[in-house]
Amino acid sequence: MKQNNMLAMILAGGRGSRLHDLTNKVAKPAVSYGGKYRIVDFPLSNCANSGIDVVGVLTQYESVLLNSYVAAGRRWGLDAKDSGVYVLPPREKADANLDVYRGTADAISQNIDFIDTYSPEYILVLSGDHIYKMNYAKMLAEHKACNADATIAVIEVPFKEASRFGIMHTDEEGHIIEFQEKPENPKSNLASMGIYIFNWKPLRKLLVADMKDPDSHHDFGKDIIPRLLADNKTLYAYRFKGYWKDVGTIDSLWEANMDLLDSNNELDLNDPTWKIYTEDATTLPHYVGPEASIKRSFVTQGCIIEGEVKNSVLFTGVEVGEGAKIIDSVLMPGVKVEAGAVVQRALVADGVKIGKEAVVGSADSEHIELVAKRVKGVE
Amino acid sequence: MSKALGIVNFSGNHIWVKGMEEYRPIGAFSFLGRYRVIDFPISNMSNSGIDRIQVYIRRKPRSLVEHLGTGRHYNINSKRGRLHILFSESKGDNDLYNTDIAAFSANLECIERSHQPYVVIAPSYMVYSADFSTLLANHIESEADITLLYHSVDNAKDTFLNCNTLNLNRQKGVLSLEQNRGNAKNRNIFMDTYIMKKDLFIDLIKKAKSLSSMYTLADIVNNACEELDVRGISHRGYFASITDLESFYNANIELIDFKRATSLFDDEWPVYTRTNDSCPTQYFETAQVKGSVVSNGCLIEGTIENSVIGRGCVIKKGAVVRNSVVLPGAMIGEDITIDCQVVDKHAKIIHAKEIIADPEHPGYIRREDTL
Repeated sequence: MKQNNMLAMILAGGRGSRLHDLTNKVAKPAVSYGGKYRIVDFPLSNCANSGIDVVGVLTQYESVLLNSYVAAGRRWGLDAKDSGVYVLPPREKADANLDVYRGTADAISQNIDFIDTYSPEYILVLSGDHIYKMNYAKMLAEHKACNADATIAVIEVPFKEASRFGIMHTDEEGHIIEFQEKPENPKSNLASMGIYIFNWKPLRKLLVADMKDPDSHHDFGKDIIPRLLADNKTLYAYRFKGYWKDVGTIDSLWEANMDLLDSNNELDLNDPTWKIYTEDATTLPHYVGPEASIKRSFVTQGCIIEGEVKNSVLFTGVEVGEGAKIIDSVLMPGVKVEAGAVVQRALVADGVKIGKEAVVGSADSEHIELVAKRVKGVE
Repeated sequence: MSKALGIVNFSGNHIWVKGMEEYRPIGAFSFLGRYRVIDFPISNMSNSGIDRIQVYIRRKPRSLVEHLGTGRHYNINSKRGRLHILFSESKGDNDLYNTDIAAFSANLECIERSHQPYVVIAPSYMVYSADFSTLLANHIESEADITLLYHSVDNAKDTFLNCNTLNLNRQKGVLSLEQNRGNAKNRNIFMDTYIMKKDLFIDLIKKAKSLSSMYTLADIVNNACEELDVRGISHRGYFASITDLESFYNANIELIDFKRATSLFDDEWPVYTRTNDSCPTQYFETAQVKGSVVSNGCLIEGTIENSVIGRGCVIKKGAVVRNSVVLPGAMIGEDITIDCQVVDKHAKIIHAKEIIADPEHPGYIRREDTL
């Protein structure tokens, strides 16, 4: 806290229902990504690497695994004195009824007491389900330099995709003039990344008022940002360049994994100056059998590969039997593909077994096939 | 909680691994890509419920201390348990005096102060898995004074040459300890692993010191065989003694065989190590990898056969790595062929087109070298 007087709050309560069976049992931020990570490792590691040492994680949907996962702040080095990761599911308080988080802003509002114990000057609000590397300290420096009341990180997106995002219309100096939520005719192609820095005291006032407003959605994009604009506050757009992905669907989760296969890919997980930290698995390095072949793939420790792997991402402890073929696929932790099976353009969920000589997915499917249940083999 | 204090001992001054040991003690050698040799004895202790562990270091402590740290990664209780790193106070310029006995007596009060009535002593330079809790229970039940662990081998003529052997009588009583001079095929190789009462251990340290300044623990136990009830217990499963470059190389290469590896690694008996938070390994279009063990954080464009690749190595296009042990952070440049080599950490091979040795005498490329 002392380092920069900024506390981070990660919104990790969403279900991510478009990820179907992947989020039946776990919240979206706990979904696996990139061979050994979970999505929430990215904002948490970014915080640790940016010198932010108090992080609150707001959880709600299927939060048991997520709560215990993020609570081990040591993984991200967030365990020094006066540092820590706080798991904040909705809770009963002396002066208020127990209520679920009604929206992104409400999740922060319900934890005003927690934030007050640190009385930070700034608060960083992050989303727990985006994949990117970003130095929040730089964003804070610009926020201060611009004397802004709020700073919102934005990224350029292609104009034809802009209507999927919250779009910021700015003047030449980067001040936000207008905010459009998923506009049909976007005035700009600067999309909000769901990363906000606020001056805490004025935001606190606004949140207290918002809690009582019966017409509010209690949402940053829908209510708080428009309110700030209406009040003529200084809102600054912080332009981010680099890899950023919102993995909302099976197709986009698959794509985000495939992005790692390009040489010199933008995310560059191998950068020793900005490591992404995660749970340590007690496994051997990966084993490559005498008849195996691995091309253009991302493979992590604990895998045992005896078959053929091409254009694929293999997570911790995946086993690929002799003669099996894995093509254009993502195999989540503990997936076992038995001998002779073929997996193509598929995303196989954690621990799923694919039996001998079974065939899963196809080369010319429009969407990526999600395999979430055991596939029986040929007897 | 275990009744035993765990002691991880260093290698004696009769053991010297050419090249590699110039940089670090054997316990700190990188092993099978992501481990260090010392992870095996410490994990054995941790898995056996021993959570008070002393690690003795004779020389070059840097990399070992960095790796061990607070010992949290070994899954020992962070309050009740403790990993204690102890240095032997070097005796002048003559390494002959830097014996384990000298190290134990320099730190005798740390041993005396521990509350455990027994000690389990294991070497930092041997790779095996063993359940010390069962061995300790057997030791207590047998009422023997000292239990020694050994491994019966049939290739003692040209391997395990720096190790001690146990001469046993029919009842597995130990008659004597003797250096393996390579004059017989079948030998009981002593695994430098001892179980005894702590008080006896302290007596032996004191006695050894009074007898000779050059005495080691093995020497004094050999001396005590006549008076004390010293017994051998045979170990089964994988066993390697890292006591020269060949044994280091062979142990890595033989564990590429997955069946062999399962005799050392068991899901129920994890081997802990310090994580480096490397990302997964990236294979490119031109990669051709067969029969190998590959750690995380590598970038692979070339060919790898029958090799162990450490963390964060770069194997460039056209490079061929065969029958080699490549330690973390090394780089094998474009169109370079290496065969039967041990490539030490952060070495870069860019100029030498071919570096080939025969498997009996693997080559060694020094740490940080550019060739």
